[in-house]
Amino acid sequence: MTSNRLPNRGRVDHGKPVRFTFDGKALQGLAGDTLASALLANGIHLMGRSFKYHRPRGVVSAGSDEPNALMGTRRGAGQFEPNTRATIQELRDGLEATSQNRWPGLGFDVGAVNDHLGSLFSAGFYYKTFMWPRAFWDRVYEPVIRGAAGLGVSPTESDADSYASRFAHTDVLIIGAGPAGLAAALAAGRSGAAVMLVDETAEPGGSLLSEPDVVIDGKPAWDWLAATLAELAALPNVTILTRTTAIGYYHQNMIGLAQRLTDHLDTVPAGAPRERMWKVRANQVVLTQGALEKPLVFDGNDRPGVMLAGAAQTYLNRYGVKVGDRPVIVTSHDSAWYTAFDLAEAGAKPVAIVDVRTDVAGALTDRAREHGIETLIGRTVTGTSGRLRVSSIRVNRVENGKATTPRDIACDTVLMCGGWTPCLHLFSHTKGSLAWDDELKAFLPGHRTEAVHIAGAGRGLWGIASVLADGAAAGTQAALDAGRDATEHAHTVEADRPGTGITVKELPTDRDPGKAKAFIDFQNDVTAKDIRLAVREGMRSIEHVKRYTTNGMATDQGKMSNINGLMIASDALGKAPPQVGLTTFRPPYTPTTFGTFAGYHKDATFELTRKTPIDPWAEAHGAAFEPVALWRRAWYFPKPGEDMHAAVRRECQATRASVGMFDASTLGKIEVAGPDAVTFMERMYTNPWAKLGVGRSRYGLLLGEDGFIRDDGVIGRLGPDLFHVTTTTGGAARVLNMMEDYLQTEWPDLQVWLTSTTEQWATVALQGPNARKLLEPFVEGLDITAEAFPHMAAAECTVAGFPARLFRVSFTGELGFEVNVPARHGLALWEKLWEAGQQYDVCAYGTETMHVLRAEKGYIVVGQDTDGTLTPADAGLTWAIGKKKPDFVGKRSLSRPDMVAPGRKQLVGLLTDDPTVVLQEGAQIVADPNQPKPMKMLGHVTSSYWSDAVGRSIAMAVITDGHAREGETLYIPMPHHILTAKVVKNTVFYDPENTRLSA
Amino acid sequence: MNAMSPLAAGVTITELAPTVRIALRLADISTAPGLALPVKVGERSAEGGRTVLCLGPDEWLIEAPEAGRDALFAALGAISVPHSAVEVSDREITLELEGPAVLTLLASGCPRDLARMPTGSGARTVFDSAQVVVTREAEDRFHLTIWRSFAPHVRAILDLATRELAAGL
Repeated sequence: MTSNRLPNRGRVDHGKPVRFTFDGKALQGLAGDTLASALLANGIHLMGRSFKYHRPRGVVSAGSDEPNALMGTRRGAGQFEPNTRATIQELRDGLEATSQNRWPGLGFDVGAVNDHLGSLFSAGFYYKTFMWPRAFWDRVYEPVIRGAAGLGVSPTESDADSYASRFAHTDVLIIGAGPAGLAAALAAGRSGAAVMLVDETAEPGGSLLSEPDVVIDGKPAWDWLAATLAELAALPNVTILTRTTAIGYYHQNMIGLAQRLTDHLDTVPAGAPRERMWKVRANQVVLTQGALEKPLVFDGNDRPGVMLAGAAQTYLNRYGVKVGDRPVIVTSHDSAWYTAFDLAEAGAKPVAIVDVRTDVAGALTDRAREHGIETLIGRTVTGTSGRLRVSSIRVNRVENGKATTPRDIACDTVLMCGGWTPCLHLFSHTKGSLAWDDELKAFLPGHRTEAVHIAGAGRGLWGIASVLADGAAAGTQAALDAGRDATEHAHTVEADRPGTGITVKELPTDRDPGKAKAFIDFQNDVTAKDIRLAVREGMRSIEHVKRYTTNGMATDQGKMSNINGLMIASDALGKAPPQVGLTTFRPPYTPTTFGTFAGYHKDATFELTRKTPIDPWAEAHGAAFEPVALWRRAWYFPKPGEDMHAAVRRECQATRASVGMFDASTLGKIEVAGPDAVTFMERMYTNPWAKLGVGRSRYGLLLGEDGFIRDDGVIGRLGPDLFHVTTTTGGAARVLNMMEDYLQTEWPDLQVWLTSTTEQWATVALQGPNARKLLEPFVEGLDITAEAFPHMAAAECTVAGFPARLFRVSFTGELGFEVNVPARHGLALWEKLWEAGQQYDVCAYGTETMHVLRAEKGYIVVGQDTDGTLTPADAGLTWAIGKKKPDFVGKRSLSRPDMVAPGRKQLVGLLTDDPTVVLQEGAQIVADPNQPKPMKMLGHVTSSYWSDAVGRSIAMAVITDGHAREGETLYIPMPHHILTAKVVKNTVFYDPENTRLSA
Repeated sequence: MNAMSPLAAGVTITELAPTVRIALRLADISTAPGLALPVKVGERSAEGGRTVLCLGPDEWLIEAPEAGRDALFAALGAISVPHSAVEVSDREITLELEGPAVLTLLASGCPRDLARMPTGSGARTVFDSAQVVVTREAEDRFHLTIWRSFAPHVRAILDLATRELAAGL
């Protein structure tokens, strides 16, 4: 196979080759590889181009902190993902990967010219450069910047995958299945506590997967790992989730987990979701996320082939990949020395170990000498060379903190380690405080705000023995805190690799530091000199430095760069790091697909759609639908060849000429019952209810405490203590909540109860001169003649054999009835009436016709003709106020001085001078069309329709002082012309005497 | 439960026939001796096919077979103090979910820890964006009572989740 794969090494399956492509080139890796390890096995370090300067970049890490190796990956149509981290994506058969941010190719990229113009693109470049001329911003700068912005290509096809979500509850959630997490899981699991252990990679083990030589409890690390996992698997109370990233830590131990289910599979099982979002409520959380390795900051530290030493160790031991034959190690921490030893033992020839510290343990230097590795202690690195791959490194002696004699050392990889940063992202989500540890030069968890335990390298510990002990202690404590009986166990460790290190700012150089390309944030192309420039230009807080330089603002959230940035900023400011501060980490911990957040809310289940019992009939009869709140309602019923106007016109004519049927089931319905029902209604609604007789109904108007109209509806009194309240379709839930609010907080003494019956009843409205003729034969137990059952009568009876609540009510101005039957019978009732109605040429009409018919009568629609700022007086509804009532919700507000002052917008009718012109709803109205722009707008058109019944267009509008403008001509400027219309105070355009209503 | 092994996919979802359903509101339970009203929110009494679930300090959901309608209304009629008893038989649809993976299926949309819900008890909660009443009928059998127009959405998500369980991931 390929030269960099080591047989018999790693946890990959050497017997299972996996084919994939990179930029169209066919390659082969092994089962168990990540995309990055497979590319490295093929000798490919160059994996991308940097965001700003288009510099060639290689893979830096072996984990989710990877800033460079971001690729497009594709499985099939609608299954393309940009910015996939090659270090996380597992290899699967047929995986298509493409590099990003390069044109025409990865090896030669035109955009790399930016690299040579680097001095132009300094920190704050945008703020300084695009200030002038102002007009250029919209036409030139912003489009160009937007064109160049973003990394990767957004997918253009809709996502073909499905996504899932799941809630879970557990006693102990352990995040990170490294040695500390495993020890915690053993401790908590043995106690009987419900335990969830999650890890973002493909298999548990964490650092043990990269350190097979450690011996735990007498077993080699991987044997101990297998035994531990077997014990945990045998515990029914323990769940292990791999490929699962804890992305956010929310209040009261709610943790979001993004689980990748199929991206690693060669073939996806039918029905399998791609990812699942877990929403876990944990009694106790144990954070064992480990530590993230820091790069060292020196000129050329971003050249392909320069990577983190710990990553090289992972590629070697976990994936059996030798990242280079002649590596040079550059470090400030002991850990990288072991990488060199591991590589040497695997057959590579490490050239030198450069340690920036002046004092290194003799055991390490001795062992290096045994391997024939040159040790360069107390040195600095001042540059690298090589076009698409590092070929040499420039190392200098340091005297009195200054770099002196340089020396070039040939190499094919540079493995760097600037120490380790405890991973505190999730802890930071909880707003727990961080404490600066000056010895470790790291922030450690301080005050905790949640039931959380932090163990292992995540709180600055180092070495397998100490993190195992810490994990066991944390797991035990978590189980105890969750109310379990737990006893701590101990682990023995041999061949451990404890160590120490220091954290430094950018390495000293003998060259012009202003020209050094010493990168801190690889993903956002931020260098050490950018940070210093930001400080020179007045930035004092790390929050400002961050925004000015964009350091840490890429999708990796500065996992590698934050502490290096802070060390340099604090040096430039001459202040201690904690005084400069650390920026806040926010969810998600790593980039997360939209699909995972959407879960099941896609396609047919994108949003809940409510349908009435009669909806199937409407669908079968070709209705066009419109959404009203969460409902879908029949909008109109077009016959073949009809557009909306023709259909609505026909529906209006048929209803006024004979009879129309309308599905009114969506109206909100509330049963108000109890001995204090009348008192409650008197207080809630503006209208008087005390004298409303049983078997009668009344239009009710509901205000807010502010006196503005909130809702309306017809309310029937079905018993001395029983009201059947109807609300607007969209207002049902809101009105019930408002009523409950008043009942529970203001009037808990009232003996009255509210029950939503919206869905108990299906409602069919029959409207038109023949409505009674159609209905009468179906009604039992009630005389519905005009005399016996007049307008606004209400009764319980039987209709078509179904128990019914019958209202004589009209929202059209015609003789009308609304029949409520238990919802299961709604469709049957509709069909019976429809069949019987054929002799009257009955017409089914939808919401649009309903709107026209009601507008002809000047009936308002709350929310369309009102906007939350209209009082009853503004809307011409003072008649609906019970004048003698001592109080009702909103009453006091109606007499506030500004509520009765002139200048309020009021609802009026508007008749265009040209009767054929139908105004646009929402159109603005002015008094003088010749005034300079911006014009003073008096109001707007709220409802506007063509009316056959009136023989012209009709409209309603809210207009400043509208009631005083009777007969006034106003203007409605449109894009290409100006329309004129006259104000009429009376909005009843049709049958003002209500003769049809009381027929 | 171990998520590393495939979950059993066996869950059946059945829409139940309508029953008589009453939303009862009452201040003092001693005034309705014929109804065996449980006191604690979440508790349910069951007697002769009739169940009474306490949903709130003064709120109960009564379910009875159609054959028990008259007896139920007689018991309600015997309540001597002010109360509200509203028939909501048609307001809701009840789905029965049964099978070894029923808790996992419900976890696809219900944030409550239903593993801790004792058999024979219930609660008003949410499933996805819909309000539901969940009752535990047996170790691996639950009822979901959903407002009629919300039921298709809940059902559609349950069906998606069932397919997901069948896929074994």
